Amino acid sequence: MKTYRELPSDAGSNIIGQVTAQANRLQKRLASVKYTVAIMSGKGGVGKSSLTANLAAALTLKGNTVGVVDADINGPTLAKIMGVRNATLEYTPAGVKPAITVLGTKLISMDLLLAEDDAPVLWNAHTQKDAFTWRSTMEVSALREFIGDTEWGELDYLLLDLPPGTDRLPNVAELIPDLGGVVVVTIPSEVSQFIVKKSVTMARDILKVPIIGVVENMASYVCQHCGEQEPLFSAGETPDAAFQQDLLGSVPFDPKLARSGDDGTLYLHEYPDAPASKALMEVAEKVQAFF
Amino acid sequence: MKFLCTDCDTAMKFKDVTRPEQGSVTALFECPDCFTEIAMFLNPSETQMLKSLDLKLGGNNEAAQPMQMVRSQLETGKTEAMPNEFSPGMGSSETAEGGKCPFTAVISDAFQEEAAPAEPSGPGWSAEALERLERIPAFVRPMAKMGIESFAKDNGHDEITAEVMDAARGNFPAQF
Repeated sequence: MKTYRELPSDAGSNIIGQVTAQANRLQKRLASVKYTVAIMSGKGGVGKSSLTANLAAALTLKGNTVGVVDADINGPTLAKIMGVRNATLEYTPAGVKPAITVLGTKLISMDLLLAEDDAPVLWNAHTQKDAFTWRSTMEVSALREFIGDTEWGELDYLLLDLPPGTDRLPNVAELIPDLGGVVVVTIPSEVSQFIVKKSVTMARDILKVPIIGVVENMASYVCQHCGEQEPLFSAGETPDAAFQQDLLGSVPFDPKLARSGDDGTLYLHEYPDAPASKALMEVAEKVQAFF
Repeated sequence: MKFLCTDCDTAMKFKDVTRPEQGSVTALFECPDCFTEIAMFLNPSETQMLKSLDLKLGGNNEAAQPMQMVRSQLETGKTEAMPNEFSPGMGSSETAEGGKCPFTAVISDAFQEEAAPAEPSGPGWSAEALERLERIPAFVRPMAKMGIESFAKDNGHDEITAEVMDAARGNFPAQF
């Protein structure tokens, strides 16, 4: 009796061929992107999406063409932060035209596809029972389509805002074998450093993905009256010591930054001279210098 | 996944796939030498896994449509997201297995789950025969239907009636 390897094909489904076609489609799209950068943090609530939006703005203001993928499929916030929630995606045979911010940054996000503000991402299925067996696969396929089927055009940078945790980076690294690097976001607290170290280990030691550096967000509080900066958290180690990685910048907390995110007005654009904006521009310069 | 006809020691070929019945797809494979058929049942989770990977049983010669998986499978999508082409927003009642969204047809085709059955290329069904078909347990109904249609075609029947079903009965393990 013949064995598995002696049979010529998978009975005609050509599953490998279909998967290869998907990968080729993705790679063809990425061929027009110079650098892909994943922004990640093991911890939620460190301002990662806000930093992604403003890093994208900073890179755009420096004359780069920039696209952003909101890779947080279940908790997409970038359309709101970047002020394009009302954008209507346009379908063309060449791909889906992304939303474009006032600065010209391009964005694709699940939020742009959801029907209502309070609508969660719910996939069509006969039953949601045992959905844990396939939901993650849906999310990765969605991410593949977001990256590969958006009509980005020529991009200098494609930023991917990952959800908290260490689980999405391996997916991204598989989808984008030539991932340019990772920006790790933390805040100066021992809890954050404790968790974010796991992300650094995942990227550096397990996936062997280049780490561009660490951004310490909410590094200090700027007094709105006198302009003096005070620590906001009780820091553990300094970021470069904690993570053994380059520090790309320390971004002070500014209530206006949070408000800009709520209003969808890009902070960097609104307050270019604020200390946080200057810090964000320095981060962008270091990201550029990395490549 | 590969299938071998152990009698002929020949690789079986994909023959057909049904639209999902209660979330479960049935794929038929046939031996090219002795024409023995086998049915492979995918449970709902396996069927959903195939959907989530955006893969098509039996191969896929269609050109990929941008974001076809997200657009066809997102239950809570908005209808006006891409107005010039399709409406990804799909109410559950419309999308359970074969949505009304125009674009869904692309994906539905991948899983043979058209909202309405395609124009029959073989014999039609009488009302009485259809009623009897409905009484067949859902999990074997797709296979039984294909088998009866195949029997009718092979025996020159233009319409499947209760009598044709009786004649076909002996050919199938499932009783109807």
